[in-house]
Amino acid sequence: MRRIYESEALTRDDEEQFTPSQRRSETPLQAMRSVNATALSRRLLPGWLRRRAISVDVSVPCEAFPLGATVPFRVTMANAMPFPVAFRTRSPILWAWEVDGKTEATRVPRDPPNEPGEFRFGRGERKRFEKRWEQLFRVSESEWEPVVPGEYTIGARINVDGAVKKGLYDETTVQILPERE
Amino acid sequence: MALLEVEDLTVEFYTQEGVVTAADGLSYRIESGETFGVVGESGAGKSVTALSLMRLIESPGRITSGEIRFKGQDILGMTEQEVRSIRGNEIAMVFQDAQTALNPVYSVGEQIAEAMRHHLGYDDREAKERTIQLLDTVNIPEAESRYSDYPHEFSGGMQQRAVIAMALSCDPDLLICDEPTTALDVTIEAQILAEIEELAEEFDTAVQLITHDLGVIAEVCDRVMVMYAGKPVEKAPVEELYYDPKHPYTVGLMSSIPRVGDDRDRLQTIPGTMPDLVELPTGCSFHPRCPFAEEVCTRKQPSLIDADRDGTLDADHVAACLEYTGDLTEGLDYEVVVEGSDEERVVEEDQNV
Repeated sequence: MRRIYESEALTRDDEEQFTPSQRRSETPLQAMRSVNATALSRRLLPGWLRRRAISVDVSVPCEAFPLGATVPFRVTMANAMPFPVAFRTRSPILWAWEVDGKTEATRVPRDPPNEPGEFRFGRGERKRFEKRWEQLFRVSESEWEPVVPGEYTIGARINVDGAVKKGLYDETTVQILPERE
Repeated sequence: MALLEVEDLTVEFYTQEGVVTAADGLSYRIESGETFGVVGESGAGKSVTALSLMRLIESPGRITSGEIRFKGQDILGMTEQEVRSIRGNEIAMVFQDAQTALNPVYSVGEQIAEAMRHHLGYDDREAKERTIQLLDTVNIPEAESRYSDYPHEFSGGMQQRAVIAMALSCDPDLLICDEPTTALDVTIEAQILAEIEELAEEFDTAVQLITHDLGVIAEVCDRVMVMYAGKPVEKAPVEELYYDPKHPYTVGLMSSIPRVGDDRDRLQTIPGTMPDLVELPTGCSFHPRCPFAEEVCTRKQPSLIDADRDGTLDADHVAACLEYTGDLTEGLDYEVVVEGSDEERVVEEDQNV
């Protein structure tokens, strides 16, 4: 049975705040309720198939930004398969974005709990995350430093061992332009 | 030794969107018999703080660092059984939504009596007698006949009182009230607050009162902590907070209180909303909404320091603003005007910046 709060009929978007939004095509299909599809997927699906099923994509609205401007980017992860796929991640942090290899643009090491997490994708599910980078690197617990003009790589990875090799990583480059005199 | 000492408490929730830091480096202490207020907007991390004191944070949340000492014992290092013996017995909580906190299929009296049978070893008759006495104390009329009523037969105010009675049943040393009057109308609110105050005095219970209503804080509390986006931004004795607020967020909160006889056309508000805790602004979390923010506020996170003299964390009145570390060039440009007697306090913000 489909319930009203699952239908997204009441989701509002930024442009038309007070009208119900159109149902998006990526609305997850309902999995079978009688079986634990995640557990089954973990036990039955071979690793290579799971890796092939999921795609990670990072996109930016334009390739060059003026110095000091916010850089918005979108991370899209999609499950191409008609069955659920689950990954065991290294920590409860399921995925992370990075700038020039620095996770969340910070040089301060993060110490997540030492226990695995689980990243689940429903069948045909597409997850989309909108993030922003303020052109700053966190250099200590309480300080941030602005970047200099140049080329920077924004990447996103699922938090598993060897994400790049397994194709669970994507990156894109942006140019930070110097200020005009 | 303080009754409760919280040091550097950090609570994180691991969600699909990212890590939500609901409480970030919180430190405070509550003395026996003291009423401590925690104030802030919705989503500031007030309730999470309260729940972590009783180790009630559920997955995907984790207390990632910090220490919580209750009567010198480390709550985070206790076994589940040890925590259960403290929960409801020595630390009790009045939850925000009484209707949800009460179990609909047990009678109200039974739910109150259960805690006493478990913690204090009362038999059925003793527990019932004491429950009726407690229901009477929190002003539930005809307590004896109401004992066997179910939660749906109580009004909202009565349900809230029943939850307070439940919290007080084991004579706790610390009572955590999580917005106990938010769902109630003002007359009932006044009664409930008076009851909490009176009962706290009678039983010498320390109270941590969580609310987003500064009026309630002024009425009841001794000391206050103002929270914003999971961090404490100001801590002060209640009088000082009202007469001499140090953080721009506190000033904003004060100036947005409506007052009878105020001739302003519009109520002053704090522009914008609380940031998404997954993606906090860099530097001072309040800078996108702060009328006094400068470039440095985006790059440096202020820590709590003595707002009057450059002192230590133990000072009475501390605020987390770069003004007090000498980083702001323009300074904070507001003025606090106290009008009339004690009953008439006005804080005005001069935003000519």
